[in-house]
Amino acid sequence: MSGAAIAPARCYFEDVEKDVPLETPGLTLTCAHVALFTGVTGDTVLRDPDAVPDLLPLCLSSGLGWRVPQPPLVVLAFMGFEWQFLKPARVGDTIRSVSTTVAKRTMRDGGVIVEERNILNQRDEVLQSGRLTLLVARRPVP
Amino acid sequence: MLSLPSVNGHDGVFFEDLKVGQEFTSPGRTVTEADIVIFAGLSGDYNVLHTDAEHMKSSIFGERIAHGLLGLGIQQGLASRGEPAAAHGLLSGLKWKFKGPIKIGDTVHVISRITAKKDGPDAGRGLVTVERQLLNQRGEVVQEGETEHLMERRKP
Repeated sequence: MSGAAIAPARCYFEDVEKDVPLETPGLTLTCAHVALFTGVTGDTVLRDPDAVPDLLPLCLSSGLGWRVPQPPLVVLAFMGFEWQFLKPARVGDTIRSVSTTVAKRTMRDGGVIVEERNILNQRDEVLQSGRLTLLVARRPVP
Repeated sequence: MLSLPSVNGHDGVFFEDLKVGQEFTSPGRTVTEADIVIFAGLSGDYNVLHTDAEHMKSSIFGERIAHGLLGLGIQQGLASRGEPAAAHGLLSGLKWKFKGPIKIGDTVHVISRITAKKDGPDAGRGLVTVERQLLNQRGEVVQEGETEHLMERRKP
């Protein structure tokens, strides 16, 4: 038996395909999500008991993004983003996100990808939408 | 200071009350390991940047760093403790840059400035643009950007 370790699959800059939408599983927003989020952020401004903080769906979409049918992307840094809040989410809504890489740029220490992301609810209404810029590692030379 | 100011019938800050050029400074907040662990659990973002202390020893940061979006959330929470647009408005847009890491033990605060006011999507509301910077204890800007808020107008 060989002792070679099996390296976990990773998605590097070179592996990222442009213009291929990746859809995450859904996630039902609960009061527990709201409570944890308001607790950790201190963003306690809620308009009513079923309101969801504006930034919560975006934060949840970052974790949902790891659950798409491709190996995890080697993100070195989140550089920035532009975002629109189109419709408020409510407790009980089931959100998912759909991401598409729309641009790739090679940099000295990695590559920059621009991802277009839409967060949808169970009725396929777009709640939030925008573009994120990520610094991603290039495939290491063996 | 848990408060539930509602947009309708709230405790009295309206679009008309804000002036371009007004500045606000938030209290500070020390970001802890617990904040990062809770945020990883909540968001499901377990990237090694935030969760693997050993791996991060050999990274350019030298240690785990807070999720960028955790910093943004903390920033929003801090801003709501001083800036009327954050406390009473509805976030409608965001342009944001992550400029540097937030490390465990860093103390951050927000400086915000109202830069523009314009008509909203309907007669009852206006749009307020705010420039915000999130600074650490050394005065370094770790995040910055522009937020847009829908605010109710005073009833005529």
